[in-house]
Amino acid sequence: MSNPPDLSGGFDDADESVAEALRRETIGAAQQPRWQGLVRRSLQARSLITTLVAIALFIFFSVSTDRFLTADNLLNILRNLSFVGIVAVGMTYLFVAGELDLSVGSVFGFLTVLMGFLVARNGFDPWIGMLVCVAVGLAIGAMNGVITTRLNIPSFIVTLGALTAFRSLALILSGQNPATTEGVGFFYDVTGGYIGGIFPWLVAWMAAVMLIGGLILAFAKFSYHVYATGANRDAARNSGINVNRIKVICFMLTSGLCGLIAALIWGYLHVAAPVTGTGLEFRVIGAVIIGGVALTGGRGTIYGTLLGAIIVGIITNGLVLLGFSQYFGDVATGLLIMLVGALDLAVQRAAARGLQYFER
Amino acid sequence: MQAPDNVPYLRGVGLCKSFGHVRALQDVDVDIYEAQVLAIVGDNGAGKSTLTNILSGVFQPDRGEISVNGVPVQMTSPHVARTLGIATVFQNLALVDTRDVACNLFLGREPTRWRYFVNRGRMREDARRVVDDLRVNVPSISAEAGQLSGGQRQSLAIGRATSQQGRIIIMDEPTAALGVKESRKVLDLILRLKANGVGMVVISHNMRHVFSVFDRIMVLRHGRVAGVRRKGETTPDEIVRLIVGADTLSPSGIGV
Repeated sequence: MSNPPDLSGGFDDADESVAEALRRETIGAAQQPRWQGLVRRSLQARSLITTLVAIALFIFFSVSTDRFLTADNLLNILRNLSFVGIVAVGMTYLFVAGELDLSVGSVFGFLTVLMGFLVARNGFDPWIGMLVCVAVGLAIGAMNGVITTRLNIPSFIVTLGALTAFRSLALILSGQNPATTEGVGFFYDVTGGYIGGIFPWLVAWMAAVMLIGGLILAFAKFSYHVYATGANRDAARNSGINVNRIKVICFMLTSGLCGLIAALIWGYLHVAAPVTGTGLEFRVIGAVIIGGVALTGGRGTIYGTLLGAIIVGIITNGLVLLGFSQYFGDVATGLLIMLVGALDLAVQRAAARGLQYFER
Repeated sequence: MQAPDNVPYLRGVGLCKSFGHVRALQDVDVDIYEAQVLAIVGDNGAGKSTLTNILSGVFQPDRGEISVNGVPVQMTSPHVARTLGIATVFQNLALVDTRDVACNLFLGREPTRWRYFVNRGRMREDARRVVDDLRVNVPSISAEAGQLSGGQRQSLAIGRATSQQGRIIIMDEPTAALGVKESRKVLDLILRLKANGVGMVVISHNMRHVFSVFDRIMVLRHGRVAGVRRKGETTPDEIVRLIVGADTLSPSGIGV
């Protein structure tokens, strides 16, 4: 070899024919708005579709049954979904932060037994009982969160363990014997009672939790960090956000709300059965997913979750009115979760493929 | 050209870093000035990434000292580095795909009202000003980051680094995944930032892009500084020879 080697070409990895590059750019530019439009539209359309599905179900059951569209029945639906709805607020934060909690049903059951233990068996004031239940709930959430974040164990595993452990603790603490109360007094009026004799206080509690939870999730600086943590943990951390703290707080919120509904169901049913809340995790997570909260984190609203809970409530109630056994409600909800989950993932994948395509 | 004797904003002296038996960086000195672009080039494994990661606070050097404005500092994380005015645009860009441009620009330091709530209006105003000032090419400040093209994402990440009062911005392969037109826009942005007094470190494989923006160029080879050259005092051929270690060759090129 007598000529000096031409090395410059080897380092110029963008040294492509300008014409070809421009051609690609042009194609890219033409593709871009279409794909962007598709992605944006499908995301915005998500809450619209959820709303339309809820309305369609509402109309369907109003027409196909006599008893669906009555004030009594509608309030009944709302009251029945109030426990799910309240915990679903916490679960929405947790999903947005990229985690989940399978233990909500068991924790709810355990805290209900604790409520009965404190109030019926040890004579505590029910308000004190409520405070203790919420405080213990917060502590359980902190435990789940700290184990998940510090030991770096998936929350799926941690809360699956908590699901088993707290159901057993509920049985142990109750002595397998439900505590009961006569349920007389102010506490019982404003939890299990009815405003004006018609409107369930439980629905008012749910509305308050959803309103406050929704406003905070939409506008608080904390919530901006929740979204960032769920969507891109490293980006959040590099921006000085304490992602572990964010996640622990979301776990605490979820379990703390389990404490709240434990006190509420005590005020409503006057019984603390250790089996309380069996399968709650399914309905809560179902409502959250149907409501459009991303399984992958970083996306979701309380409005969507409310709609998800309402859809679950309408289906469960409507099927019973149509003469199906109440267990078909869960069958239908399960199928709906699968359908919605599959559709959401399909849209996300299509969007990702679209983006990759025009970037290349 | 900048005055050669002004004080570097960021200075690394005698930086060493090993990973097991691999000596990734040996006795590297580096000076980074404001309103200047320092290009760092080198073959794969020459130590570019290690040096960048040390300067941006991701790695701690085994030996050597880093100082900012003449004051020795310990940069224990990218966040600490940022508080010292050194922002890094990583290759993965660290954008939150599900959030809009404004959220990404102010990630982790959102303007607030009533202490706990984000002042959405002010954030959008500030975001629009940043986007306009730097002519960052994004379609809209309410577009989700995940919907942007590669060049737009790069511009957004650089814009964020700048708007975080970055005096020095370290960019790892800012044009690597981009087409010609998008690369051009990013390089223009780099030149505009330089005009605004921002100092930059640009790591790149692309000679043409490097030569269109740099003031000084530093060549790494096997973890050591193979040479530092000023603009106008070197040619792409010389830099390439430094990169491959052929600087002592006769013009005939025998022995490569």
